[in-house]
Amino acid sequence: MRTALAIARKDLRQRIRDRSALVVGVIAPVVIAGLMSFAFKGVENFTYTLGVVNLDHGAVSAGLVQALETPQLRHVVTVRPLPSAAVARSELRAGKLGAALVVPAGFSASVATSRPESLLTLSSDQFAIAGQVTKSIAASFVAQLNADRLSVATALAAGAPPSELSSLAGLASRLRIPLQSVERPLGAHQLKVISYYSPGMAIFFLLFTISYAARSFFVDRSQGMIERMRAAPVRPAEILLGKALSVFAYGSVSLLTIGVVTSLAFGADWGAPLPAIVIGLALILAVVFLTALVIGLSRTQRQAEGIASIVVFGLALLGGNFFFISSAPSVMKHLALLTPNGWALRAFTDLATIGGGFGTVVEPLVGILVFTAVVATAALLLAPRAVRV
Amino acid sequence: MGASLVLECEHLAKRFGERVAVEDVGFSIAEGEIYGLLGPNGAGKTTTMKMVCGLLTPDAGSISIAGRQAIGNLDVKALVGYVPQDVALYPDLTAKENLEFVGRLYKLDRRTLAERVNEALELTDLADRRDDRLDSYSGGMKRRLNIAAGLLNHPRLLILDEPTVGVDPQSRHAILERVQAFGREGLAVVYTTHYMEEAERVCDRVGIIDHGRLIAEGTRRELVAGLGQQDSIELGASGDLERLAQICLAVPGVVKAAAADHSVRLVANDGRSILPALIEAADAGGFAVTSVDVAEPNLEAVFLHLTGTALRE
Repeated sequence: MRTALAIARKDLRQRIRDRSALVVGVIAPVVIAGLMSFAFKGVENFTYTLGVVNLDHGAVSAGLVQALETPQLRHVVTVRPLPSAAVARSELRAGKLGAALVVPAGFSASVATSRPESLLTLSSDQFAIAGQVTKSIAASFVAQLNADRLSVATALAAGAPPSELSSLAGLASRLRIPLQSVERPLGAHQLKVISYYSPGMAIFFLLFTISYAARSFFVDRSQGMIERMRAAPVRPAEILLGKALSVFAYGSVSLLTIGVVTSLAFGADWGAPLPAIVIGLALILAVVFLTALVIGLSRTQRQAEGIASIVVFGLALLGGNFFFISSAPSVMKHLALLTPNGWALRAFTDLATIGGGFGTVVEPLVGILVFTAVVATAALLLAPRAVRV
Repeated sequence: MGASLVLECEHLAKRFGERVAVEDVGFSIAEGEIYGLLGPNGAGKTTTMKMVCGLLTPDAGSISIAGRQAIGNLDVKALVGYVPQDVALYPDLTAKENLEFVGRLYKLDRRTLAERVNEALELTDLADRRDDRLDSYSGGMKRRLNIAAGLLNHPRLLILDEPTVGVDPQSRHAILERVQAFGREGLAVVYTTHYMEEAERVCDRVGIIDHGRLIAEGTRRELVAGLGQQDSIELGASGDLERLAQICLAVPGVVKAAAADHSVRLVANDGRSILPALIEAADAGGFAVTSVDVAEPNLEAVFLHLTGTALRE
């Protein structure tokens, strides 16, 4: 063990002396997480101004305007009445509106006929999300309207006198379609962008340790240092353990530093410290064995660099380090759970939203450990040959 | 031999696939003895040394170090100091940090480590550069530090694999002086080289290895005596030196001839008397002889006599 510690200490000394260690281990992940958070700020608290052109001035369009000012929509949409569609288009082009909704003249009257008028939504590529939200609002309102029309038509067909038409319409409008989708965070807290990208970037740069450590092993070998170690009374396992310890120590310091800095500087929420640390350590263990596997699979430094790049970027892409995995297609969500970083991100996200302690991270922890066990088995079979002279 | 044996190798053999690297090699070295292992590149010197160091496991044979069976015995490695052919140290660490790291590989305690590092730095005249990074050292200084690293564990057996390759004359002289001192201090030294003059200068006994086999062994005097009254001749020339060697071999009295760098090396009976015939034959073959050197038999001549090839081909 003393020899393994000596090897780890020497590796860390070299790593720290190399200035890129600070950049890759701390500065880059913190800066990129900050930039990502800034770039996606709008997604976190989405609001926009909706221009409403009411050319109808009837009861139905009044209901629409009223619906837009309900508490559910008020925190997303700021309604601005406009005189005409031309003004709406002009303001949209000027970037003063996110989208616009035009209620055509005679809209209310047409609802009772067999050929109702259509609502018109205006949007621009500049505010694509606002356009989508407006279309959804319009579609939702029209669906409600159609449900009302169906109710009245059913009542009349069942024998209600036509003189009761207006009271029937009033009754129907007070009913609501029972199934409505309501966006609500899964946990007690909404996930902040910085709380996703801080661990995302920290993990991504932690994965880079695989590349650095594998390369450093082959540099050692080409410099004759592995041979020198083997000529001394040192077991191959001690050499590998020493290398693993240095990766573990470097990864731990890097992850912890990023956690503290992003929490204090940007208010990132990593969840309860102890479960977060356990997940971090499990992930670093996975990185240690991934490094050993890359070393075991490679014959030369160039091969090691190539394989490590594939592993790092493959895991980062599949695990969701670059994008919100929750908004990815279902297949990506499943693939993310084949990666230790995907599980770790899920754990950190759950800790930040649901809260709780170890109970919250049991499933991700098991996921990471299963991955680690599989990789460790392969690494322990392959890596010892790398220290043969 | 009065001193006790430190290294005993018997019937060593090693194959790499179909290629035989070492076959039936055996030799022994006593305390205070410097043993030179001579041979061209690819002869099997380094493979033999790696088996002695425990870096390679022999396919057959036995190795005993200080009376202890060495193959697969981790503890015995503590008795061996290994100085590899290329400088095996970290360029981004200081001399002191490098030596401390190597010392820790031998599990030296803190106090002993500090003493040995100082001692090794003093011994190699690098004490005043102890805190400088290795990448600021000259080639000769790196070589000296490489040797210092092999001494940290106070070995009984020191293995030096071509320690002067690429070293300037001054550093080479210093290294050879140091190696001779190791012998006087009682260390058993294995010195592999393809420089004949180094082997002649520092080695008490020499083993000549070629194509994986130890083809001769003894003191310089013993090996040279095997040549009888033959002389070593070197003819300086240019052009197709292989053809010149064949021309020379046809001259009566020439026993062996081989092309080397810018010259042809010969072993001949009564070398001085056949010189005119040699030069005439070369001239007739269209070669201009630029220099002639006739010497008493040396290890180079021994090697040529035994293998039919010059050592530095």
